[in-house]
Amino acid sequence: MSSLENSKTQYAELVTAPNISTLGAELSWLSNLRESAGNDFVGAGFPTPREEEWRYTNVSALEKNQFSIAEKAGMVDADFLAKVLLDDCYHLVFVDGFYQPNFSSIDGLPAGVIATALSDGISEHEELVKSLLDSVIEVADRGFINFNTALFNEGTLISIDENTSVDKPIQLAFISSSEATLTLSNLRNLVVAKAGSKATIIETFDACGDHSYLNNVVSEIVVEPNANLSHHRVQEESAAAYHIAGVYTRLEHNAIFSQYNYNFGASLSRAEVHATLGEASDCTLDGLYVGQDRQHMDNHTRVNHAQPHAVSNETYKGVLADKARGVFQGRIIVAEDAQKTDAKMSNRNLLLSDRAEADSKPQLEIYADDVKCAHGVTVGQLDDKAIFYLRSRGADEQTAKNMLTFAFANEMVENISFKPLQMKVLDALLLRFPQAGMRKEWL
Amino acid sequence: MLKIENLHVSVEGKEILRGINLEINAGEVHAIMGPNGSGKSTLSYILAGREGYDITEGKILFHGKDLLEMSVEERAWAGVFLAFQYPVEVPGVSNIYFLKAALNGVRKFNGLSELDAMDFISMVKGKMKDLEMDEKFLYRAVNEGFSGGEKKRNEILQMSVLEPSLCVLDETDSGLDIDALKIVSEGVNRLRDPSRAFILVTHYQRLLDYIKPDFVHVLAAGKVVKSGGPELALELEEKGYGWVDEKLAS
Repeated sequence: MSSLENSKTQYAELVTAPNISTLGAELSWLSNLRESAGNDFVGAGFPTPREEEWRYTNVSALEKNQFSIAEKAGMVDADFLAKVLLDDCYHLVFVDGFYQPNFSSIDGLPAGVIATALSDGISEHEELVKSLLDSVIEVADRGFINFNTALFNEGTLISIDENTSVDKPIQLAFISSSEATLTLSNLRNLVVAKAGSKATIIETFDACGDHSYLNNVVSEIVVEPNANLSHHRVQEESAAAYHIAGVYTRLEHNAIFSQYNYNFGASLSRAEVHATLGEASDCTLDGLYVGQDRQHMDNHTRVNHAQPHAVSNETYKGVLADKARGVFQGRIIVAEDAQKTDAKMSNRNLLLSDRAEADSKPQLEIYADDVKCAHGVTVGQLDDKAIFYLRSRGADEQTAKNMLTFAFANEMVENISFKPLQMKVLDALLLRFPQAGMRKEWL
Repeated sequence: MLKIENLHVSVEGKEILRGINLEINAGEVHAIMGPNGSGKSTLSYILAGREGYDITEGKILFHGKDLLEMSVEERAWAGVFLAFQYPVEVPGVSNIYFLKAALNGVRKFNGLSELDAMDFISMVKGKMKDLEMDEKFLYRAVNEGFSGGEKKRNEILQMSVLEPSLCVLDETDSGLDIDALKIVSEGVNRLRDPSRAFILVTHYQRLLDYIKPDFVHVLAAGKVVKSGGPELALELEEKGYGWVDEKLAS
């Protein structure tokens, strides 16, 4: 037996081990769901580059790493926590996959809003969890989803009642402590924004330490008629981490969904966003990925225009330095009935070194005839004339390059309306490109 | 201040400058005139340090130091400033941040601390007022969507903020209407100073009506073919560059 088969067996053993997932173990419907997902995982394992949707991303390193399930939360010091938690937000905080009520704060949530750890949600709102779990995922390549469904032990449950507006963003802070070396977490977030409601959710992923671990996150989101949900992800995992995340969304009639995806960390990351669009719904998908060293950053989106009159706008930008590799696979599907669809998709990449690589693959599948669809891809380098111009004014070469890189990326930062979040993303960018720009309040 | 000795420059094997000699002292204004293709802009770029040129012979001393050994930014720090014929648009970089980064680079080199934000902004705004520039330009991306005249004014603004000792103006008058030409020229004249020198590279005499040169040099086919006082510019205006060609032919 080869070593690869050995380690496959190891993850397969995890999902089939008795009593491994204690969350909701007493619920037969959940046990059945987990068992079925577990069996599928045992059969198929993690995806391989032989699958079209994974042709640019090879996760076989996971199999060599022998990650095991974290047993408890490690320590996170107060300074680090203060840095991670955004001002003017409700906070649900998780360390190494474990909910931390002491660090969390949801005092003052408006009536009709549930924002809770999934472990609490599953006992207090079983029917709601049951209605949401595995309710919006439409994809065929389910390796990581099955792994998550079989093993998720924590996450969040968020429900916004009809016509309710949440006054502040809800931050879901996932922190990996340095004690989580070689561990894995399966996190599941379930969100429903009921008719006419409005909310902002921010998922953040941070690590204190440079250890290796795996975060496998599945977020399922339902945006009901006339509801407006903003969803942000800021991924600043450790440089040795593996981050696999999927956001699966259903937009109902007239719903508005805006997803902002910022990827800075992890040795290997895969960020998927899937949205199925109901009639006259409005979907924005924006993303920025910044890769350095040997980082591999895969962005995978699928917008399914299932109904007529919906609008989607997608802009992903990548900055790739050193030997980093960025992947963008974006698919737009327009169903036969989805007349008057207006769909735009753009992916622009900036390569900062000869050894960096960008693979971009936009895909359109259009079955309706009265639609507007546009897509564009660019892969470019910094403008030598602009570098010379900046240097001729006294910016040293690296600063000049950083300024131009920042300028390229900043478009995706300026569009963040919530200031504390904008500052977090800006700081992540300026950490990588010093002297490249400044915070606006400097003026 | 600046001494150019026997400068030979080639681009892709073609010799553009064929032995330039020029000496410029503090406080002086030198005009370099010549027909298209004479090598005027090449000389400007060589001073600023642009890549892509082979310097096959000669040297340039700036304040006694070997200018050709210095990087682009080191030249800026040491006090060389090129006002571009075609200022580059830099999308996404605000003018104010660009100016701040530039000035701080120069100040750092000279052992000075960064300017306080408020002092910096009020200083820049004062200079913009002199150039009749709207303050909104501070917050726009560098040169992006600026008209030709606005770009040239922005060059002079940068020059007045950085206060270089050697100002090289490459065809600054091109694309300017008469009002803009006056404003830009006044901006340059305000900077005239016994410790500062100017090189005005221009095809036409027009600019020299507003900025009076001390010396005029005629460049043709990569060589200075004639030097003289301001009257030389008038002579060129009258006769055109035809006689230069005749002179080269003979």
